[in-house]
Amino acid sequence: MREEHGNVAPALISKGEDPGEVRLDIPYQLITILETVYSWVPEGKVAVITRRCDEKALAELTKRGYVDEKRIVKIGLACTKEQIAACRCSDPVPSKVDIGEPNEPLATDDLSERLAAMSTDERLQFWTRQFRKCNKCFACTHNCPVCFCDDCVLEERTFVAEKGIPPGLSFHMIRSYHLIDKCIECGECERSCPGEIPLLTLRKMLAKDMKKVCGCVSGDAKTISPLNTTLEGDLLPEEKCDEC
Amino acid sequence: MSVRHVLTTCPYCGTGCNFFLQVADGRLVGVVPCKTDEISLGRLCIKGFNAHSFVQHPDRLKHPMIRERGQLNQVGWQQALDRIVSEVGRIRDKYGPDSIAVLASAKCTNEENYLFQKLARAAIGTNNVDHCARLCHASTVAGLLYSFGSGAMTNTTPEFDNADCILVTGSNTLEAHPMIGARMLRALDKGAKIIVVDPRESPLSRLAHISLHQRSGTDIAWINGMIKVIIDEGLADEEFVKNRTSGFEALKDAVKEYTPESVEAITGIPKDKLKEAAIVYAKSSKSMAAYAMGITQHSNGTDIVKAVANLAMVTGHVGKESTGVNPLRGQCNVQGACDAGGLPGLYPGYQRVDDPKTKEKFERVWGTSLSEKPGLTLTRAIEEAQVGKVKALLVFGENPMVSDPDIGHVEEALKKLELLVVTDIFLTETAQMAHVVLPGACYAEKDGTFTSTDRAIRVLRKAVDPPGEARPDWAIACELGKRFGSKGFEFSSPSNVMDEMASVTPQYAGIDYARIDKQVLRWPCPSKDHQGTRILHKEKFAKGLGAFAPVGHTPPKEQPSEEYPFILTTGRNLFQFHTGTMTRRSPKLEREAPEPYVEINTHDAKRLGVADGQRVSVSSRRGSIKLMARVTDRIIQGSIFIPFHYAEAAANRLTNAALDPVSNIPELKVCAAKLEPA
Repeated sequence: MREEHGNVAPALISKGEDPGEVRLDIPYQLITILETVYSWVPEGKVAVITRRCDEKALAELTKRGYVDEKRIVKIGLACTKEQIAACRCSDPVPSKVDIGEPNEPLATDDLSERLAAMSTDERLQFWTRQFRKCNKCFACTHNCPVCFCDDCVLEERTFVAEKGIPPGLSFHMIRSYHLIDKCIECGECERSCPGEIPLLTLRKMLAKDMKKVCGCVSGDAKTISPLNTTLEGDLLPEEKCDEC
Repeated sequence: MSVRHVLTTCPYCGTGCNFFLQVADGRLVGVVPCKTDEISLGRLCIKGFNAHSFVQHPDRLKHPMIRERGQLNQVGWQQALDRIVSEVGRIRDKYGPDSIAVLASAKCTNEENYLFQKLARAAIGTNNVDHCARLCHASTVAGLLYSFGSGAMTNTTPEFDNADCILVTGSNTLEAHPMIGARMLRALDKGAKIIVVDPRESPLSRLAHISLHQRSGTDIAWINGMIKVIIDEGLADEEFVKNRTSGFEALKDAVKEYTPESVEAITGIPKDKLKEAAIVYAKSSKSMAAYAMGITQHSNGTDIVKAVANLAMVTGHVGKESTGVNPLRGQCNVQGACDAGGLPGLYPGYQRVDDPKTKEKFERVWGTSLSEKPGLTLTRAIEEAQVGKVKALLVFGENPMVSDPDIGHVEEALKKLELLVVTDIFLTETAQMAHVVLPGACYAEKDGTFTSTDRAIRVLRKAVDPPGEARPDWAIACELGKRFGSKGFEFSSPSNVMDEMASVTPQYAGIDYARIDKQVLRWPCPSKDHQGTRILHKEKFAKGLGAFAPVGHTPPKEQPSEEYPFILTTGRNLFQFHTGTMTRRSPKLEREAPEPYVEINTHDAKRLGVADGQRVSVSSRRGSIKLMARVTDRIIQGSIFIPFHYAEAAANRLTNAALDPVSNIPELKVCAAKLEPA
């Protein structure tokens, strides 16, 4: 990212090119941007600034063969305290810190806890109210680093009727479950949502369930997703998961 | 290999969101929101996210064309421009300059619109220049000029965040101005009260505290009713009324008869609800009013706008942070096209063409003599073409064959023209009728500026080259100006054009490219060291004292009858934009709303035996279209709604071209119609 026209812009530069006035305080989702431009960079290496969540996104992408790990050079960026607070992030330090100082993670997300304490009805009411603000902009999928299907089920009429807005509960449920084994909690969906729906909280709650039920945590290149295995049991990890 | 992120401005509604176009080796591959943009806050609607997808569409016009024996054939620029120059010359010599009209464009930049009106006025010699603002906010410009002295949004988009109360009427904000709607949702989440008054339910009205449904065309009745409640309850801001306004006694008289009971009888709004809404609006310390086409597109549109201004002034909700009267402009540069003088009675900066001193100033700057006779409005120009008085029409980026009321009539009028020249990016329904078609560059292919609905000058930066031989409209206008033998079209870049525009437009005097490259400036910006103006009418109104206008309810020109029992109202949906030229070529948008439809209330549908998804025919006194019925409770009984995006079932085949006498805006929001199974 760099300063351009009084704003902060994502930038891709060639080796030796002057990067200009670099800015690291604005959380652009660089992995999403990398995915769009990856096919336009046919050879050589690409260096990208990676926060811890970006590393995890890259892991999800490489294990599915969307990018070649050998071509990516990671420049580790430690998030600031403010950024950690905004993402309620429990895992903010990249494996190798090149820029910034490592900061302590946050153990809790207030809203998650408040929701967990509610009755099922209250929780449903909360989310129904939130989802009524959805204007079907697809920012949550558009900006998501791990939303990479060629054909998106949310754009298929069988699952989501094309009639108007808001698109209804199923839109959000389909998306949530679709990402359950890949979401790396970068928070980009929540930041880019015009309705300010607390989507990161929804993801965090689902991730917690996923861990509890399947023992599966996203963002690790070695873990095979329980959703990636066949019903016959091929490739099923040792921890058996009856739910998936 | 080259990958660039080019910061530019969205080409859809007037909110003015900035985003980055992703360009890889000359191809547009995507859109990335700009996180530091103060208007969009790094968020976009679905149209914004897809704003790259029509740009390099194979249907783009790539070469000029001339009609020969009924067919449009590809020709070179030289030949096309020669034809236009000789035909315009012939028609001007034979019938006089006022037989020629120019349509400027709310889709083109400020610089281009400045050149279009200069082309009409200085090169052709007529004030016949207008654009589609005539169809959307002409009544706002006229009404608010009368009430306040300035016809633009009094406050800014970011201010919606901090309002305590937002009164939204005649605006489906979440669909038509999604990022302004998002601001309203922010305010809602922070505890603001939202009041929506609309004949239809909308995504916003479903979240509002108070949602009122008036019969179409009864707006002055409910607004006057609210004013009466406010005065009777002692909630008028007496201090403000005394010090800042004139004509209060006349207003008091005018609203006397609008008791809650009589308002209920006229509008259908329950009297207690009206009272509640009036009290909430008046008592909140920061109340913003926002409106759009539901207020303006009536044959008494100017009066309705004045009524909204009355309401804001009675309560003192104007001239302060997060208050005001906020007309939401619907095109990316409809505000700027008006500012730049794309209006028949006004030079750039709303300076009157019939004022001798102003005329003299422009004659001096442009080095030519000018006509003092106000030109024809777009709607009148079509009428004059029909009767053979207007002989030539030069259209830049407008599509009246879908956007204007009573298309059957428009078609007849256009057929009578001796010369129709259309510059556009696709072969629109209007371009298909042209004698000469010129290929223009779209927003992503040129530099320039748009002015957003909240008066911010937003920058366009060229991301890719135009296709084939297409040229930016500013270059086409300059070329035509020079060939018409006119001086003052020797511009080498849009930046030079802005310098000239700023020198004659007081509101833009402080604008130049170096400044706006890094800074968001809102007009009025009267000098180079001025930081722009966020809130209008702070200390005093632009015209001095705000003027109350005693206006009364008059019914729409066409009333439901036995034969045509429904009120037909038209508008937009979220996924398509205007005449569909761009959105219908954007696969992800077209997927969401691929087909024309008519919304009809569940009870009405049951009575007529119409099922959801059934094909029906809708007719008015002017025409008939066939489309799919959407049976819904979204719309009140007795009314039907058709989005006007679809040329194959164009709502404007049915609409009424009855004009508001002051602003000439047509009554697009109300006509009588019938609906039958097809």
